[in-house]
Amino acid sequence: MTSRSRTLIGFAVVAVVLGFFPALQEALELPRFYVIFLFTVFFWIVQASSWNILTGFSGYFSFGQGAWFGIGVYTFAVLVGKHEWPLLAALPVAGLFACVAGLLLGVVVFRLRRLSGEIFALTTLAVAFVLAALARLMPAIDGGTGIFMTGTPIPEFLGEYTTAMYRMTLVIALLTVMAAYLIHDSRLGWGLFAIRDDEAVAGGLGVPVFRYKMTALATNAFFAGLMGGVWSLQLGFVTVDDVFNIRVPLFVILMSVLGGLRHWMGPVVGAVIITTLADRLNSAGLADVSQIIIGLLLVVLALAVREGVYLRMRDRWVTAGSVFFGVLVLTIIINLNSSLISDFAYAMVATTVAMLVPEGVWRRIRGGPSGDSKDSDTSPEERAEARL
Amino acid sequence: MKAPRRRRYLILITVLALIAAACGGDGTTETTAPPDTETTAPSDGETTTSEEMEEPSGEPIRIGGTLALTGVLAATGIIHEAVGEVFVERLNEQGGLLGRPVEWVLLDDESVPDQSAAAYERLITEDEVDLVIGPYGTGNITSAMAVAERYGYVFPHHTASLTYAYNYACHFSSWSTGLHPNITNPNLIYDALESTGTPPETIGFVVNEFPGTMFIAYGQDGTDEGGAVALAEDRGWDVVLDLTFPTATSDWAPIAAQIRDADPDFLYIAGLGVNASQLITAMQAIDYSPAGMFSQWPAPGPLLQTEGADGIMSVTVFEEHPPFTDDPEAVEVSALINQALADAGIPYTKVETQAAASWTAWEYLQQAAEGAGSLDQEAMCDWLLENGVDTLYQGHIDFRPDEQNYFEDLSKLKQIQDGDWWVVYPEEFAAPDRSLIFSPDE
Amino acid sequence: MELISQGIVSGVLIGGLYALMSLGLSLSWGALKIINLAHFSFILLSAYLVYQMSVSYSLDPLLTALIVVPLFFVVGAAMQVFFHKVQVDEFKSLIITFGIFIILQSLIRTIWSADFRRIGSELNPYETQSIFVGRIALPVSQLIAFGAAVLIAVGMSLLLSRTYFGKAVRAVAQDRDMARAFGVDPRRVAVILSGLTTAFSALAGVFIAVGQTIFPGLAVGWFGVVFSVVILGGLGNTLGTLTAGVVVGVANGAASVTWGPLAAPLVTFLILIAALLFRPDGLLTKRSVA
Repeated sequence: MTSRSRTLIGFAVVAVVLGFFPALQEALELPRFYVIFLFTVFFWIVQASSWNILTGFSGYFSFGQGAWFGIGVYTFAVLVGKHEWPLLAALPVAGLFACVAGLLLGVVVFRLRRLSGEIFALTTLAVAFVLAALARLMPAIDGGTGIFMTGTPIPEFLGEYTTAMYRMTLVIALLTVMAAYLIHDSRLGWGLFAIRDDEAVAGGLGVPVFRYKMTALATNAFFAGLMGGVWSLQLGFVTVDDVFNIRVPLFVILMSVLGGLRHWMGPVVGAVIITTLADRLNSAGLADVSQIIIGLLLVVLALAVREGVYLRMRDRWVTAGSVFFGVLVLTIIINLNSSLISDFAYAMVATTVAMLVPEGVWRRIRGGPSGDSKDSDTSPEERAEARL
Repeated sequence: MKAPRRRRYLILITVLALIAAACGGDGTTETTAPPDTETTAPSDGETTTSEEMEEPSGEPIRIGGTLALTGVLAATGIIHEAVGEVFVERLNEQGGLLGRPVEWVLLDDESVPDQSAAAYERLITEDEVDLVIGPYGTGNITSAMAVAERYGYVFPHHTASLTYAYNYACHFSSWSTGLHPNITNPNLIYDALESTGTPPETIGFVVNEFPGTMFIAYGQDGTDEGGAVALAEDRGWDVVLDLTFPTATSDWAPIAAQIRDADPDFLYIAGLGVNASQLITAMQAIDYSPAGMFSQWPAPGPLLQTEGADGIMSVTVFEEHPPFTDDPEAVEVSALINQALADAGIPYTKVETQAAASWTAWEYLQQAAEGAGSLDQEAMCDWLLENGVDTLYQGHIDFRPDEQNYFEDLSKLKQIQDGDWWVVYPEEFAAPDRSLIFSPDE
Repeated sequence: MELISQGIVSGVLIGGLYALMSLGLSLSWGALKIINLAHFSFILLSAYLVYQMSVSYSLDPLLTALIVVPLFFVVGAAMQVFFHKVQVDEFKSLIITFGIFIILQSLIRTIWSADFRRIGSELNPYETQSIFVGRIALPVSQLIAFGAAVLIAVGMSLLLSRTYFGKAVRAVAQDRDMARAFGVDPRRVAVILSGLTTAFSALAGVFIAVGQTIFPGLAVGWFGVVFSVVILGGLGNTLGTLTAGVVVGVANGAASVTWGPLAAPLVTFLILIAALLFRPDGLLTKRSVA
């Protein structure tokens, strides 16, 4: 069996398991909140993964996730909230508008102006600001009054609100991660990585640099906007300040860095960990502390983890697996009353900690060749690439 | 890449911190209230007027809710936190609710509406709270209300400014502006101005681009109903300025310049927070002061400290002076709230609209449960609709189902005179020897 | 006529403050290759310290600058020492400094609560006093801030172009190893530069405390303006940053009085995008450090 078919089967399994979760939740009488929690995780998986397709793979740092998200939210909200479009018709339009906006930006910055990486980043930030200002200014879009999304009619076959949100976000998440995977393992992905390493050389090697960057950008924007549309329902009342702010753009960076920028699973892992942690800290009444912890996490991650938790996990999978399931089972047994989410949180933290142990120390623990020269820290990613 | 020893220690320490923090959440997955809230045991004899000293007993009644404790709305969110804590503590001292102790499970929604919604889902379905109370901020209240409606929970709330949007049969607002604040609020002000005998001839509007203030100034989007601007025109006053400014404005000089240029007799600042303070400071800097000013929902403290703000008006439902302080219980409770606000590090500790609305919302919940004799949401909802509530700060309130459960506008007009806020209109609520001071040719 | 003149004058003056706020980020990014988001929290923290000292000891807020500015010089220098130890690239620096920003902001909120803080008018006469030229007002606090910004921008520009230190900074910015080969100690240069830029941010904080009511959420609102100024000014270009600050301030002010305050942000950001497209290295391309 090829690695690709194995992965696709993996996707199918995940899809089925997750798809049946709401039914499972009802049957086992687990708290309904688990469904909401999961669809929040799906939201962040989509945002982080789509962002990473551009930034992680191609190296073009984007501050603009908020822009695509915002376009998606507002397109959907205007169509559905102001013009009473049916939900399922408006969703793809939301994604499409964001995609087109991304393409427009791409044409301007990639072709008309060969902008350096930093300037590209700043341009994406500026785009987000302009969009926010536009939305505020134009009553056709928002004009300051906000758009009410509560009470939006949901097609019957999707179920009631929570189930519908779950199904929509699950489908979009599966599509996004699948897209990230397919890109990662394709010529397009190879081309993007080449661009990241050295764009001039890549061009010289025959990589269609412009086309590939545009594809990455368009994919990024499309999924971000699509999920934005769905998320407008969860916001309930859409206002410029609640949509165009620093939250989405910054959290996707954090999640992707934690999980790993170089692999399509990285943002997924990062999104799951961060969302779970933030949720648990918040529910324990520690929201204040949770912000300080996120701050510390940012600092530590940037220093300690070069290639992200996911690749380390893959490399040390025996340890990761045993720590994770071990702690999980332990916490479930010790505290039968506690939320399953909390149990998962402990398991995740423990596993992440185990992954943070630096390579040098790690090898010594495993009893590998001792006296490892400190500089031969070839990361698992480098070794993986060397294998290719 | 070096792997110096120091780096390992740094990582180890941070890792330990992470574990410590995660463990800090240990045992509180049944979510308890923030540590400084003593809610399950009655405190030791602080109240002087309590008649029932029976200790509440049995399983605690858990009331869930979120507030903006961090994020952009936090400046007012923390006031609601302090007031709620006082209420719950006092309730427990006086025998609890239905004989049982009360526990407030308060979470931080970080001023983000989707987080508020998710938190209410968690409180209801995972933590299985008995009752809920609303968050702070129009956006957060809207999202949370949808969740409450989905699960059929009675939803008392304060401060939601877009009154027309709330159709849930069991929502109860303590923000006493009535269903049409876009009509009743401006009329209150304009009636007051006319009562001085010297109403303005020209009027200027500076409106924060926040949905609530836009609603007051321009009426509901897509209807012709009211709005401060239209109502001023109806009175034959000349609207010489009509500006909308972005919520995040930090440079007030250009706006001040435009106001000076238009020179209205009366300036209506449909703003929030410190908008008015900043604007007045900017106007002072260009040596301009309108004859009369009104600020919609200011943070009252900073305005008192603002040079040039003397004479500015605003709306309120309660102030700490007679005739409001004729009720000894109101005085007693206000003192508790003053202390709680001071303990929270909040500079302005007096009870006014925000605190009063907060207290009132809690009273809704308490009387609903006591009236219905149970925690059954439907029974409580019906009871509220049938009987109304006797509130400490706002008198008796009857909910009108045909007006989306709103009631009449209970706002009064207050004004800064001699360095403090005084209610000046309507007359029967005015502070002793105080009345509205306004003259267009100042 | 008077209205638009006032709008422009106000814009120029506040542009000085914008420039002061942006110098830290611009020089950091241009010369040290560190995207230092922590500067926002330094400005905020400085404002809070000024507020606290003013109120607790009844000091003139401008005098507190004498304490706060040197203090933050040390902080900036220490931070740069830390960055040397951990060898970050631009991307990592962004993440780390954002982490620091979040931590500082949370600390500020924990210490001073989320509520509004304002130095009263008895202690702070500057906020409402103005010098008048005809009917055009020049508010004193903004005037002083503008003056400080000009002095610093010109001073730094001269420093960077005429002195040995300045040359060392530019050398390090272009090619660290080469600079070291020529006897420049990149570490020392970076530490001093970082101290300076943080001191500038602290000074900006002084003027913020004098001119506004402060609260913890204020800092996030600065991102838009500061990034605009940094981009327009060109990374590491001090005179460019000053010019950019003035351009942004004037654009805002003029747009506001002409088309209303809602139009102002749009105008600013459109100028920004135009600048990114046509002059990506900044408005005054000659003198950039990097």
